[in-house]
Amino acid sequence: MQSSAHTADGAENLPRLAGHFASLEVQNHAARLGMWLFLATEILLFAGLFVCYGCYRFLYPEAWAAGSRSLDLTMGTVNTIVLITSSLTAALAVHYAKEGENKKVGVMFALTLLMAVGFLVIKYFEYAHKFHIGTLPGRYYHYEGIQVTGIPLYFTVYFCSTALHAFHVVIGMAVLSVAMVRAFRKKDFGPKNYTMVELGSMYWHLVDLVWIFLFPMLYLV
Amino acid sequence: MAIANESHQEEKNMDAHHGAGRYWLIWGVLLVLTVVTVVTGRMHLPSFGLLLALVIATVKGTLVTLYFMHLAEHRGANRLVFGVSILFVVLMLVIPMADLGTRFRGANPPGSQYSDLQPADIGTGTQRGRFGGGVRQTETKDTPETPAPHH
Amino acid sequence: MTPSSSIDTAGAAPHDEHHDHHPSYLVDGTTIKSWLLTVDHKRIGLMFLFFILLFFLVGGIFALLIRVELLTPGATIMDAMTYNRTFTLHGLVMIFLFMIPAIPAVFGNFMLPLMLGAKDVAFPRLNLASLYIYLTGAVFMLWGMLNGGLDTGWTFYTPYSTHTTTTVAPVMFGAFIIGFSSIATGINFIVTCHTMRAPGITWFKMPLFVWAIYATSCIQVLATPVIGLLTVLVAVENLFSFGMFDPARGGDPVLFQHLFWFYSHPAVYIMVLPAFGVMSEVVSTYSRKNIFGYRAVAYSSLGIAFVGFFAWGHHMFVSGQSTFDAGVFGVLTMLVGVFTAIKVFNWVGTVYKGAVDFKTPFAYFCGFLFFTVFGGMTGIALGTVSLDVAWHDTYFVVAHFHFIMVGATIMAFLAALHYWFPKMFGKTYHEGWGLVSAALIILGFNATFIPQFLLGNNGMPRRYYDYPERFQALNVASTAGASLLAFGFIIIAMYLTYALLYGKAAGKNPWRSKGYEWMSEAPPPTHNFVGPQPTFPEEPHFYVDPKKAEVPDAV
Repeated sequence: MQSSAHTADGAENLPRLAGHFASLEVQNHAARLGMWLFLATEILLFAGLFVCYGCYRFLYPEAWAAGSRSLDLTMGTVNTIVLITSSLTAALAVHYAKEGENKKVGVMFALTLLMAVGFLVIKYFEYAHKFHIGTLPGRYYHYEGIQVTGIPLYFTVYFCSTALHAFHVVIGMAVLSVAMVRAFRKKDFGPKNYTMVELGSMYWHLVDLVWIFLFPMLYLV
Repeated sequence: MAIANESHQEEKNMDAHHGAGRYWLIWGVLLVLTVVTVVTGRMHLPSFGLLLALVIATVKGTLVTLYFMHLAEHRGANRLVFGVSILFVVLMLVIPMADLGTRFRGANPPGSQYSDLQPADIGTGTQRGRFGGGVRQTETKDTPETPAPHH
Repeated sequence: MTPSSSIDTAGAAPHDEHHDHHPSYLVDGTTIKSWLLTVDHKRIGLMFLFFILLFFLVGGIFALLIRVELLTPGATIMDAMTYNRTFTLHGLVMIFLFMIPAIPAVFGNFMLPLMLGAKDVAFPRLNLASLYIYLTGAVFMLWGMLNGGLDTGWTFYTPYSTHTTTTVAPVMFGAFIIGFSSIATGINFIVTCHTMRAPGITWFKMPLFVWAIYATSCIQVLATPVIGLLTVLVAVENLFSFGMFDPARGGDPVLFQHLFWFYSHPAVYIMVLPAFGVMSEVVSTYSRKNIFGYRAVAYSSLGIAFVGFFAWGHHMFVSGQSTFDAGVFGVLTMLVGVFTAIKVFNWVGTVYKGAVDFKTPFAYFCGFLFFTVFGGMTGIALGTVSLDVAWHDTYFVVAHFHFIMVGATIMAFLAALHYWFPKMFGKTYHEGWGLVSAALIILGFNATFIPQFLLGNNGMPRRYYDYPERFQALNVASTAGASLLAFGFIIIAMYLTYALLYGKAAGKNPWRSKGYEWMSEAPPPTHNFVGPQPTFPEEPHFYVDPKKAEVPDAV
């Protein structure tokens, strides 16, 4: 029950043990399980939109085919690659955190954040194009090029799901920035103290995971 | 001391440290799969295109969860949580879609594949039009503009 | 440094009357800040109790307004639009602000760590955050309700909710925020059950209340995100007309109902499962007997949580859902009845040949048993497709869900309040008044809702402002019953407040309960247990050796 806040002394950095946990192992276990539960809620949050996608695709297959072909596949593919690579750097950050190489952890997160910004910039250009030509949700749809029943609904689903995903990218960036700053400033990640890095990068992988499904659903089929 | 064992086991699994090479390998596989899904997606395969894309996405997702998120090294509750959430996603998808497929056709949204009704005209000319502002009504040409006279 | 660091400095006693005496959590820190910024699960539970009772009062006042309005056909005290807003407010406040958090956030918070022999829940700061998230959401919701009000009913079905000019967006946003509170509580409790159990408490030695809360938390975590998304979609739809659920734009309003009931049906079990848990504790304590079929009760909690996710379509039998889905849901709905029946039989088996100590909580148990069985059986009837077609959207449904959901939850809430009152405050209440008010509430509840069963069966639709003359007698009876109910609550408020201020000291374990939570002091010290973590060698609810069939002597 004693707090063990060794921050500067000794080679091995230990995180502070909150008084109500039996041991550090239990505390890490709790943090990890809590994160998984939180990720489960995120999955179900997106699931609602996946259900909308599935049902309306079922009802309006032609609109869905036309809509997905109107998207910019190159931008989508580049974004997928960017996001997968950012996931790699986030995973490597955990790897380096376990080895206690704080500088590399910070660099990896910085790269991740850079790619996240890149993702959002590309997303911005896609959105701007859509606003320009008028492939917009619901009653704002005014694109002459595609005239099929249900096509505004496709763009409703497209905009809702990508916007929700982009929002998660932004939250993930905030989380990773905190971890990055800590890696650069406090430099206290080590083999016994990497939970924060691990959980932050888990969140980032979830963002990636959602995109892995959104990409083929929206752009390809 | 079941709890301590559970926590201890997980800690031990997490401690098993692998080289960074594994992450690079997974990354390579993910990129290859992305290329595959883009190439096959562009072919617009008629019937199993969607299935193929979803299978590839599932494989990619599985790789991310198992290795990037370390689910392969987690035991027990963490896996259960993830599994149950996926189960409920599938449940939530399947039942409404089964509903749409088996519903009385008149109850499906008019104009859709599973409805015999034409989409309702709520004023195409305005910004509040049925398809949004600027979509022409192409499919409603054959419906009479005025109700058919009785007898 | 951080709020949770206060945990480390155990028992920094401001009162040092005795040097070895650890002050109870109630007096360990008396400033307002020490309450508002506490991370102690017991104090957070008490703050939840305060706000939940406040919202119960608000919802209750609106219930009475509805009943007074329906006293006579036509306008009685308000116009039709106000009436629409009143029943919407009643539903929203009672469901989102009272019933969903009622038992988990108050008694779950307070009792779960005590029952597991832990010092606190796994994430104390998240726990405090959950309180403030709840309050933020409540403020948004009430602000929206007061500035224009919502007239859709608590179900906010599309397409009406996306077209109405009343304040949809703030109320939806409030519900969205409250969802986070619910999720935070759920995550916290699940992790607590997994990681914080004291030595000796294996999974199958957890008290049944913990099992029920665990199952509830699973539902909260899995279902709440869906309603979160849905409230956002409806708000966006209302503001920008994206057409996601608008049939005029190709959307399918029945899909909205699918997603809505994917949360809202399991939400019924979020409300009622903790009630089942409370009753499992109460029945064994006051029967002085081990719970009958411990594992069956524990598994059936999980069973209800699981099967509850497969039954949502029974709300949509007449909404245009396919006959195929309706049939499937009709059958799956029956499964919930199976698991609930397992519990009921086990409770009855526990009372059988027990040495019943007929105290107030036990009186509520009796009421609970009646409401659960009666409400549950009418639910089975409503889950039958052919019967539901006639009863759908009539007062029969209103009476049914008030019986099973509200009846069971209120009974359990009051039973828990009385049962754990000495534990939480260290005071005793007046037993005689307790029994009187229990009788009034149970009678009043029946008098309110049995006429509504009859009204519904005679064809009076729900949510209607006006009704023909022939329904008046039953409506008057229902309103009279509601007054009786209100009277019962006023008595409770009076004697419990009195007990809080002037009640006799209760002693450590006034009910001689064998529940784990009674092992510590009453009221407990800040970190629940003084000295090393206790061990729990015995089964929970252990009163007699299971080999002997009967209790040796009466209490």
